[in-house]
Amino acid sequence: MKKIYFSFLLMAISTLSQAASGATQLEGSFKVGPAIILISILVLFVLVGIVFRAKDTTDFYAAGRGISKVGSGMAIASNWMSAASFLGMAALMYGSGYHGLAYVVGWTGGYVLLLILMAGQIRKYGKYTAADFIGDRYYSQTLRAVGAIIAILISISYCVGQFGGIGLMFKWVMGIDYNWAVIIGGSVVLAYTLISGMLGVTKNMQIQYVIIIVSFLIPLFILTFKFDYFWLLPQIGYGSVVSDIVSGIPLSESNQLLNSLGHDFAIVPAPEFAMPWDPATGKTFFQWMAIAFSLMIGTAGLPHVIQRFYVVPKARDARWSVVWGLFFICILYWSAPAYAAFGKILSANPEVGQLAKDAIVVYTAQLGDVHPLIVGLLAAGGVSAAFSTVSGLLVAGASAFSHDLYVKVINPDASPKRQLLFARLGTVLMAMIVTVIALFKLALIGQLVAVAFSLAGCTIFPLFLLGIWWSESNKQGAIAGLIAGGAVSLISLTYFIAGKMGASWPLHEFVDYWLGAWYFAWLGAPLAIFTNIIVSKFTKETPIEIRKFLIEKVHS
Amino acid sequence: MDNSPDEYHISFFNPNTPQATANRNMVIWMASIWFIAIFGFQILLRVIQRPTPETAYITFQQVWKNVENGSANTEELQEFGQVTLSVLGKIAISPDHRFVLDNAISWTLYQLKDESSKADFAANIKQFEKIKANLKNISDPDYIKAKVALAAELSPMLKLSGLDVRSKILPLELSSENIEKMTEDTKNNLPGIMEKYLVHNQSILTDIRFLGFPFHYFYTAFFLLILFVGLCLLYCIKIDQLNAKLNIVD
Repeated sequence: MKKIYFSFLLMAISTLSQAASGATQLEGSFKVGPAIILISILVLFVLVGIVFRAKDTTDFYAAGRGISKVGSGMAIASNWMSAASFLGMAALMYGSGYHGLAYVVGWTGGYVLLLILMAGQIRKYGKYTAADFIGDRYYSQTLRAVGAIIAILISISYCVGQFGGIGLMFKWVMGIDYNWAVIIGGSVVLAYTLISGMLGVTKNMQIQYVIIIVSFLIPLFILTFKFDYFWLLPQIGYGSVVSDIVSGIPLSESNQLLNSLGHDFAIVPAPEFAMPWDPATGKTFFQWMAIAFSLMIGTAGLPHVIQRFYVVPKARDARWSVVWGLFFICILYWSAPAYAAFGKILSANPEVGQLAKDAIVVYTAQLGDVHPLIVGLLAAGGVSAAFSTVSGLLVAGASAFSHDLYVKVINPDASPKRQLLFARLGTVLMAMIVTVIALFKLALIGQLVAVAFSLAGCTIFPLFLLGIWWSESNKQGAIAGLIAGGAVSLISLTYFIAGKMGASWPLHEFVDYWLGAWYFAWLGAPLAIFTNIIVSKFTKETPIEIRKFLIEKVHS
Repeated sequence: MDNSPDEYHISFFNPNTPQATANRNMVIWMASIWFIAIFGFQILLRVIQRPTPETAYITFQQVWKNVENGSANTEELQEFGQVTLSVLGKIAISPDHRFVLDNAISWTLYQLKDESSKADFAANIKQFEKIKANLKNISDPDYIKAKVALAAELSPMLKLSGLDVRSKILPLELSSENIEKMTEDTKNNLPGIMEKYLVHNQSILTDIRFLGFPFHYFYTAFFLLILFVGLCLLYCIKIDQLNAKLNIVD
C-alpha cells in the first residue's frame, strides 16, 4: 500500500514539474504547475474557513475574542501584507527607486503611531467596529452612519488594488485575459469570505502569513545565491545589488551570469535608482514626505486594522499584537526592495521590453531563472496576500453595512440571523462594486491602496485620535472635522477621477501635485484635527457619561 | 478622583492620573524619536544634497555645442554616441525621451559613416526594423544574426569594445526615421533629457557604503524598520512595567 502511495506521489511530482515548464515564458499560456499550487492553497483556505466558520455575529465580527497576541500579530501581518505589499511595493521601487521607500516607511511607521496612541485604548473602549466607536464616542447616530459609509468606501478603495493584484496573478497563472482573471479571482475570494467570516478569516490569516512569507523569501534566497551576493541574509545581501546598480555592472564583471532570456547580468550606471527624489523619476522631496506622512496616519485610521484590536482578549494583547504584527510585516518589507533591485538588472536589456510593474516580483523570479514551481509558489503567495487582506476588508465593510448601518441605524430589533444575512449581502455587494472598478486599472496597486490610506487619514484617524485623547472633542467638532477632511478628500479624488477620464479642469496640475490622490492626507488630516478642536472649543461640552467612560474605562 | 462633573476631563497634554502622566511622557519621547528619525533624516538629506553629474553628462556638455551646430569631429561624435547610449541603457526612460535619444544615436552613427556607405547603413537598419516588427521570439536565428552583425559593425565606430554593455544595446536602439538629420525636436529636448537622467542628488550620505548599501538607502529601507519594531517593543515593555508598578490590570 505504501508503495502505491509513494509511486503516486512521485508521479504527481513528476507531472507537476513537467507541466510547470510552461512558466518559463514571462507571459502566455496556462501554467499547470503554478495553477495546481494556487488551487491547492485556495482549497486549503476554504477548508480552514469551513472548519472555523462563524457560528454567530460575535464570531463573524470579532472572532469570539479568543485569538492570542502572537496569533493576532500574524493575523495583523497577513491582513496587512496585501497585494500592495507583496507585489505593489517592489513595483513602486522598480519604477521610481528611492521614492518607493516612502511607501515602505509609511506602511510600517504608522504602526508606531497606532500603538502609542490607540491600540490599547481602542480595545479598552470595547466596540466591534470603527463606526461603533465613532457613533458612541460622539453620541450621534448620524456620525455612526457616516462612519460606516466611510469605512465601506475605504474598504472598497483598498480592495480595488487587491483585486487588481489577484487579476494579474490569475492572468499570469491561467494565461487568460485580465478582465476574466479579475472576475474569476474576485468570485473565489468572495466565496471564501462568505463561507468563513472573521473566525475562519483569522485562522486563515495565520496560515496565509506562513505561505506569504515562505513564498516570498525562497526565490530571494535563490536569486542572491545564484547571482553571487550574500545569500544567507538576502535582506542585507541585496545592498550590494543596489550599489552595483548605482555604479553599473560591466560585462567583464558579470561573471557570465545570464537571465532566463540569455541577457548578461550587466547594467550601465543607474544612480537614479537609489538617489533621493531623483529628477529621472519625476518625483520630488515634497511628494516623498507627503506620501510617508499620509500612509502613516492612514495606518492608524484604517477600519480593518483597528478592527483587529477588537479580536484580542485584553488591551495588553492588543499592544503586544502590534509588536508581533509589525515584526512579521517587516520581514516582508525588508525583502521587497530586493526584488526591485534584481528586477532592475535582470530586465535592463531593451529586449525584455516593458514589463507590467505590478507583476515585477514574479517576472524577476522568472528572469532569474528560478525553478518554475517556485515561481508558481511565489504567484500563489501573491494571491494569498491579496486574499488575506480582501477577506479582512470585506468583513470590515460588511460589518459596517450590517452592524453599523442596518442594525444600529435602520433596524435595531433585527435578529442575529437577519444580521448575518445582511453582513453577507453587504459582502456580495462590495465585491461586485470592487470588481467593476478594478477592471478600469486606474493606477498601480500600491497607489490605489494609498488612496484608502489618505481617505482614512483625513476622516477616521482624527476622530479616533481626538476621541481617545481629548474628552472635549464633541459631536459638533467631529462633524466639522469630518466635513473639512472629507472636503479635501473629495477635491483630490474628483480631480484624480476627472484626470483619468481625460478632463482637464482649472488648477488641475496644482491639485494633482499638492493634493495627489495617494497623499492628500498630509493636508486633510491636520485640517480635520484643527477644525475639530476649534469647533469643539466653541460648542456644547461632551456629555458627562462619555467623559466618565473615557476616564474610568479607557484611560484607567 | 473627585466625582464632580468638572473633574471628568481628559487631555493628552493635561493628564490627571500618574499612569496617564507617565504614558504621556513616554508617548512624547517615542513620537519625537519616530518623527526625527523619519523626517529629520530626509530633511538632512535634502539640505546637504548637491546636484552631481555622471561623467557622461560632463562629456555631453563638452561636445554638445559642436554636435548641435554640425561642427563636431569624429572623436566628439563618438563621445556623443557613447553618452547617448549611457542614457538609453537606463530602463526608466519615458517613450518620448527614448524616441529623441534613438534619433540622436542613429544620426550620430549615420554621420560617422562614409558617404558611400550611408545608404547601405540606412537600408540595413530598415531591414533590421522589419525583422524586429515580425519577431515572435527573441531567440529567432535571423534576428540574432542581424543583431550581432549590427553590433559588430557599429560598436567599433563608437569605440565601444565587445565587453561594453552599451554595445549590446546599440542595435536595439537604432531608428531609420529621420536618420539623415538630427531633428529640431531632438536638438531642443536633448540637453534637458541628459540633465534629467544624468544629474543626481548626491551627498556624503549617499556616497558612503554601509553593509554594501549606499548609507541613506540602508538607513531608510532597513534601519528605520528596525527602529519601528524597537520602539514598539520598548513601549510595550515600559507600559507593562508601569502597569505592574501601579497595580493596574487590563
